Amino acid sequence: MDYELNDVSVRINGEEILESISCTLQEGKWISIIGQTGAGKSTFAQVIKGLIPFYRGKYTHNRQPLPRDGKGKMKIVPQIGYVFQYPEHQIFESTVYKELTFAPKMKGESPERLEVALKMVMGQIGLSEKLLQENPFQLSGGLKRLVAIASVLIAEPELLILDEPTAGLDPVNRIALLKQLKAWQREKKRTVLFISHQLEDVAEYSDEVMIFKKGRLLAHLDANELFLQRTALMEQAGLPLPEPIQLLRMIEALSGRILEPASCREEDIMQQVRLAWQSRGLQNEG
Amino acid sequence: MLVFDQVDYHYRREHPVLQQLSFEIHQGEFISIIGGNGSGKSTLAKLMNGLLQPREGQVKLEHLNTLNPDDLGRIRERVGLVFQNPDDQFITTSVLDEVVFGLENLRVPRDEMAHRVNKALQAVHMEDYAKAMPHQLSGGQKQRVAIAAVVAMEPSIMIFDEATSMLDPQGRRDILDVMHTLHQQGLTIIHITHHMEEILSADRVLLLSKGEMAFDGPPSALFSSVSITEHQLTLPFAVRLHQALGINAPLCVDWKETITSLWTMS
Repeated sequence: MDYELNDVSVRINGEEILESISCTLQEGKWISIIGQTGAGKSTFAQVIKGLIPFYRGKYTHNRQPLPRDGKGKMKIVPQIGYVFQYPEHQIFESTVYKELTFAPKMKGESPERLEVALKMVMGQIGLSEKLLQENPFQLSGGLKRLVAIASVLIAEPELLILDEPTAGLDPVNRIALLKQLKAWQREKKRTVLFISHQLEDVAEYSDEVMIFKKGRLLAHLDANELFLQRTALMEQAGLPLPEPIQLLRMIEALSGRILEPASCREEDIMQQVRLAWQSRGLQNEG
Repeated sequence: MLVFDQVDYHYRREHPVLQQLSFEIHQGEFISIIGGNGSGKSTLAKLMNGLLQPREGQVKLEHLNTLNPDDLGRIRERVGLVFQNPDDQFITTSVLDEVVFGLENLRVPRDEMAHRVNKALQAVHMEDYAKAMPHQLSGGQKQRVAIAAVVAMEPSIMIFDEATSMLDPQGRRDILDVMHTLHQQGLTIIHITHHMEEILSADRVLLLSKGEMAFDGPPSALFSSVSITEHQLTLPFAVRLHQALGINAPLCVDWKETITSLWTMS
């Protein structure tokens, strides 16, 4: 179930917002999208969902063009789930229960299957059953966000778009949510498009990273390759390196040695840094 | 001085949000407020400038009291609030109009208005964008305009309620720089955040947990006196680094300085 864009461009009010984007979103990958504000990240995600039309290029799903309406406009892609930047923009029901069961009910799910799905998704996201009868608009910002994510996940999307899903969440809830989403993505072999300014999270969870700059796709590459070998791309995009990578570079400069962590994840970097740190006295003596 | 005296607040009686909260904030302090989701941080911010009034106890700004309707106007002039989403705060069609709007409501004389607007836009480095429209600005720039609109009203206290959480790294850095500049100019800064790295440079940290004050003190003492994860928070990278490498040196805001000096000393 790959999604493929070929030379896609988007113009809004005469301004080129996305220019010649070509990429393949492979099944079962966690793909992070990074770039400065206004780089085109959210526009790209909305093109993928079919919310924004493109005036040039091709967009295919499993090599088939995406369905269009009678006027030739691309339709919204139903198998793609979209969690917007602001959860208030997608919540509309009067209770959390109604919000979460809206999509399965629309699909005609039986009450029994609906209850099973509801329980499962609440467990996956870490939402308490006590909240089911609460008004979602009266919840804290963080809880609203979890409700919005659960209401999308319950529809079992094959590709899930998360636009800044952790903004407003406290650190423990943020990490728990990302771990749960990662487990869901791996277990179900789904694709996740993760738009985030939290570069530490990008290094921690991504298989691949797409870097946008001024409406162009600067690079689309393996996360380890980006953060361990091609960090100049980050500078080119005007983005800082995640702190663990900055530490790695610093220790390499101080020790004069290239460190080779198993991945760009903090735990692997810390392991290498710790070894270099422990041997620093010996090295300086030598 | 801003004083909370045994403040209780609830939206629904059966769910207390803040309980028996007492503390003082002194002029010129830089305070970080942290806590898990639902711990009452934003409610606390709204109580500070009288958007909400305590159910029990009182909130006082010197001789003014948020329970007194006659004081509310003056309290809101002196305690400015900047929210998370810059788009929610932009109500006019240009940067200039946005900053002027609050001053017109305060009936500030024209001459003084021009002076205050220029000063406020300079404080956030947006003086070149006075004629720009909201859609021409990045998230960080919009947030700086929102700050300028508050600064122009010449408050003595500014509250930033997760004002950096929607911004890209550069936008975040810019807003933090603005906060520190305003602090150096004598304003009291109250910074509500989930970014633990951002609290290290504060004078004082208030940790809210289930509506109660779980810690009130300097950031350096926070990590040794409280189990952070029990309050839905994590250690900042600098502290994790100290622990991973067994560093006993005092916590420095910039961990790079610590690493360089310890490496060269060994």
